[in-house]
Amino acid sequence: MSTLAVHDHGVESHDHDHEHHHDTFISKYIFSMDHKMIAKQFLITGITMAVIAMVLSILFRIQLAYPEKTFPLLETLLGHFAPGGRLAPEFYLSLVTIHGTIMVFFVLTAGLSGTFSNLLIPLQVGARDMASPFLNMLSYWFFFLASVIMLSSFMVQKGPASAGWTIYPPLSALPKAMPGSGEGMTLWLISMVLFVASSLMGGINYVSTVLNMRTKGMDLWKMPLTIWAFFLTAILGVLAFPVLVAGVVLLIFDRSFGTSFYLSEIVVQGQVMPYEGGSPILFQHLFWFLGHPEVYIVIMPALGISSEIISTNSRKPIFGYHAMVYSLIGISVLSFIVWGHHMFVTGMNPFLGGVFMITTLIIAVPSAVKTFNYLATLWRGNIRFTPAMLFAIGLVSFFISGGLTGLFLGNAALDINLHDTYFVVAHFHLVMGSAAIFGMLAGVYHWFPKMFGRLMDEKLGYLHFWLTFIGAYLVFFPMHFMGLDGVPRRYYAFTEFPSMARWLSVNVFITWAAILSALAQVAFLFNFIYSIFWGKKTTQNPWNSNTLEWTAPIEHIHGNWPGEIPTVYRWPYDYSKPGAAEDFIPQTVPHSQTMSSNLVHDFEDNEAGLAAFHEWVKANPPREEVK
Amino acid sequence: MAFKNIFKFKTLSTAVAAMLLFATTTVMAEAPAAAAATADDASTTMWTGVGYYVLLFVLLATIVGIVGKILRVYDLTAQIQGKKAINWNNIMGVLCIVFLLAGLYGSYWEFTEQGTMSLPAAASIHGVDLDNMFSVTFIITVIVFFLTQICLFWFLFKYRGSDKRKAYFYPHNNTIEKIWTVIPAIVLTVLVITGFFTWKKITNTTEVKGDINIDVTGHQFAWELRYPGKDGKLGTKDYKLTTGTNKVGVDFKDKNSLDDQIADTLVVPVHKSIRLNIIAQDVIHSVYMPHFRVQINAVPGLPTYFKFTPTLTTNEMRAKVEDPKFEYLLYCNKICGGGHYNMQKVVRVVSQAEYDGWVAAQKPYFNDALKKELKMADAKQPKALGQNRLALNN
Amino acid sequence: MMMAQLQQEDKLNLAPKKFNMWIFIFTSFMFFAALTSGFIVYSGGSGKGIKIILPSAFMYSTAVIILSSVTFLIASRAAKQLQFAKQRMFLWITAFLGILFFCIQVYAWKILIDMGVYFINPNASQSFIYVFTSMHLLHILAGLGLLFNALSGSYKNIPQVKNLFRMEFAGIFWHFVDIIWIYLYVFLLLNQY
Repeated sequence: MSTLAVHDHGVESHDHDHEHHHDTFISKYIFSMDHKMIAKQFLITGITMAVIAMVLSILFRIQLAYPEKTFPLLETLLGHFAPGGRLAPEFYLSLVTIHGTIMVFFVLTAGLSGTFSNLLIPLQVGARDMASPFLNMLSYWFFFLASVIMLSSFMVQKGPASAGWTIYPPLSALPKAMPGSGEGMTLWLISMVLFVASSLMGGINYVSTVLNMRTKGMDLWKMPLTIWAFFLTAILGVLAFPVLVAGVVLLIFDRSFGTSFYLSEIVVQGQVMPYEGGSPILFQHLFWFLGHPEVYIVIMPALGISSEIISTNSRKPIFGYHAMVYSLIGISVLSFIVWGHHMFVTGMNPFLGGVFMITTLIIAVPSAVKTFNYLATLWRGNIRFTPAMLFAIGLVSFFISGGLTGLFLGNAALDINLHDTYFVVAHFHLVMGSAAIFGMLAGVYHWFPKMFGRLMDEKLGYLHFWLTFIGAYLVFFPMHFMGLDGVPRRYYAFTEFPSMARWLSVNVFITWAAILSALAQVAFLFNFIYSIFWGKKTTQNPWNSNTLEWTAPIEHIHGNWPGEIPTVYRWPYDYSKPGAAEDFIPQTVPHSQTMSSNLVHDFEDNEAGLAAFHEWVKANPPREEVK
Repeated sequence: MAFKNIFKFKTLSTAVAAMLLFATTTVMAEAPAAAAATADDASTTMWTGVGYYVLLFVLLATIVGIVGKILRVYDLTAQIQGKKAINWNNIMGVLCIVFLLAGLYGSYWEFTEQGTMSLPAAASIHGVDLDNMFSVTFIITVIVFFLTQICLFWFLFKYRGSDKRKAYFYPHNNTIEKIWTVIPAIVLTVLVITGFFTWKKITNTTEVKGDINIDVTGHQFAWELRYPGKDGKLGTKDYKLTTGTNKVGVDFKDKNSLDDQIADTLVVPVHKSIRLNIIAQDVIHSVYMPHFRVQINAVPGLPTYFKFTPTLTTNEMRAKVEDPKFEYLLYCNKICGGGHYNMQKVVRVVSQAEYDGWVAAQKPYFNDALKKELKMADAKQPKALGQNRLALNN
Repeated sequence: MMMAQLQQEDKLNLAPKKFNMWIFIFTSFMFFAALTSGFIVYSGGSGKGIKIILPSAFMYSTAVIILSSVTFLIASRAAKQLQFAKQRMFLWITAFLGILFFCIQVYAWKILIDMGVYFINPNASQSFIYVFTSMHLLHILAGLGLLFNALSGSYKNIPQVKNLFRMEFAGIFWHFVDIIWIYLYVFLLLNQY
């Protein structure tokens, strides 16, 4: 903010000035408080977790494709989790659970928001760092610890948590009900509490930074859509995660102290348990009150990133900037009153189900507006196919495909037959899984030069995109039809049902498509690691982008800009403005320097500027309209 | 530039991978060899199998590296000759169109080929309403799906980048934005209203009792069925009474429970309203009968129910799907533990006459073993009281 | 030179930090809102209420915590008027009242147990009393930490700007913890039967 600029002048050099110059290895790379370094830490941890989750998914895909075959290698690698070379049914459920948990929370929440909020918020709003760099550092290390604990649950004798990523009690509360509900579940809960703490520390910082530390001229309506998305995501997180903690605390009491918040009238394996009067549905309410906003916590940053990338690479302003912001706000608000659509068939009051159905389908309106605005942005653009752009486009395609099936699932009546089938799996893997991952990858390709000062290889990027894009469709599109045939999710094998046997060939196909997409990630990982060290050096503004982060020097310095923080004069989407010399005008260029391209609209709150503009128009006879 | 190094790196990594592979193969092959000679064979085939795939992948990666190298060389020579290098925007634009066409054909194929593999027409009254609702939603979404995807990829091809062109500065248009906010809103209102009424109709609770009430109890990993018997009333239950013989904890102090029957198959008469009273004993299960479009969770401590009227007997359905072995099924659709994937019950829809015959042949729930157990418990109780008195006297 | 400026900025960059505290308060409020809504869903669904008269100890603890807010206000006014001895004294009193509150709450648990209202209870409405109070006590501990942070700052004679900042920082949280307790207490009172 402006106060920062004032202090720039107020402070002269003193003797003790230089003492912080020399960062040690530990303070620079490990316990760094610099938002750019923390962003990189989040990214690399996130990618690592994503690779692990991907491997888990391949393991259970192999089981689904070849339910009767044995793979001695699996026993060698997994020991008693795969006796005789076949996954144990309980371990299959563990894989599904940990895959879901890691992808939803560790990759698409922390890896996505953590990386790009940290990197871009200070750089795009024009701040030296986060509101509290110390809290920011703690946020990363809590996340790291949570990741380690989550993975360590594979070392437990009875295996990791296996009640599904939604950990519905009583299954998750009764160690007798399944092996994974023992120590594995305990570790899961500890890990999640740490994770929530990390998310909250991050979220608090993001909100505070966006509201308090914007540079001069950066009013809310001049913020890039990325910042709007991160900001609203952080608000969602700050409001939703505490509710998960409340739910988890009660679950911990039930598990470890023997209270009956969620447990009632239970007979496990013929043994009557002492629990009485609890309500398993209460947990679902608390969980989904977080869980549904969580879905938007996952997708909104990806939408923000793709808005920015699509606009930049279409060389066109994002169509309907205000509508984009309002639909983000609409999605955020509505996301808190739709959680019941996950519970249509729990025996919840049918009237309540009806209400949730109405709110759920309303949320489709802002999502539709966003999609149409993306299409309008591409229309008559001058599209530059960078890998980042391709991934952003992939996001739009997935968002459409997956979003439309939401109209079936959000409809309480249709949900009766589709709930918990492969239709749901296909729906959310497209709309929040693949779409959000593509948003994240787009972000990595686009801001890689900002993070590492080098460019990633474009051709490998293309290869990576097409293989992943096609692979993801091949994996998830057929699943819709399995769901329509009533094939349930989280089944260890479809061998017990003659009616499901005809889906076996489809399952084999899906598995090989999944393996293809997984192998395609090798191209990405190679490209990523290689380019960090040996990639082509970047120029300061490689994409000819308008936003503020590209005015900062390539070499990272603490405080982001040497000298004063640049002032912002215009919105971030002045691409291909008629009358301008270049096809982009950075936010830091005042209107007084671009008279030939100014529009009356640019001077909405600036009377003096408008007067000057009118004078200039008088002095320069009107030019021919550029088409 | 990058690819030159990639190539070198690839060759190197190939060598490293091959060496690693060889080393692990030999090590891994030797370790079990010491233990058992027979294990040696299996282990070797296992590792050669894996090694084959790894080698295949390395080969593929090398080819990718070589292609990258060739592209790079081509690019450089073009630059030296002052020609234009590869125009990636065009290639990507064309690929987008190719993808669009392939995708259109692919989704058409999926709709026709796999679409026919999905469930046959509903076998219950409410299922028909639900299927109509589904068709309406399906038509709307498929139209939107094709329109938007075609627009997306067509724009990508049409407006692929070129130095000669400049994009059209078009930041907003309030009319268009209003139109495409209002149209989805209207369509969704239609869907919401019809969906709401369908939902209300299905879950209508004004007439709670069905013609036949059947108790369905889920536990790990099976379903227990209880029919009401001659009086048409199910006796009350108390989970605390659950034992090995009294599997669902029926309370026999309730006279209604004495003629309750136990069954292995969920047999129901056609065209009768069936009410399933559903509960779980240990964890949450879910009663799922896709052909009747029925699903509701079975929750411990929270009884739920679902009311439906079957319209097609099993035999009629068999004729319809041309499968003489077809059976309706009830299976669990909420993760419930290791045996989740095999927790099914056969459902058979029969004519009323057949049903009457079948139900008369079913065993009573209150069987001899239970009678004996209950008597013993009765005998125990006064004894316990006596002991208490003794304790008091002391 | 550059670094010095930044260090300076960091130090004076207190407003966003204070804002962090406000957001944290929202977070914390959501936590208690979730617990109390959980209570409503539970008791509404099961038809089981608390069904006891809350021990009067809760009334005393409420008085104590309100008093501690007043003493804190006096301390922060003293800090603004540069009366540091008075500031310290009232901070000590506030901290003491906070600890007293803690003890009374624990004593109230003992009374509850004597009444036969256990934490491990088939009527989870009664277990909820323990959840509310224990989760609130965790916040009291955090609040005490902030109070001692302000106190130590005052003893170390840190610059007045920072002193006031610490006071405000602790103040926001302490008053919030106070208000949350009143909310919880009123909530419990309303649901006594």
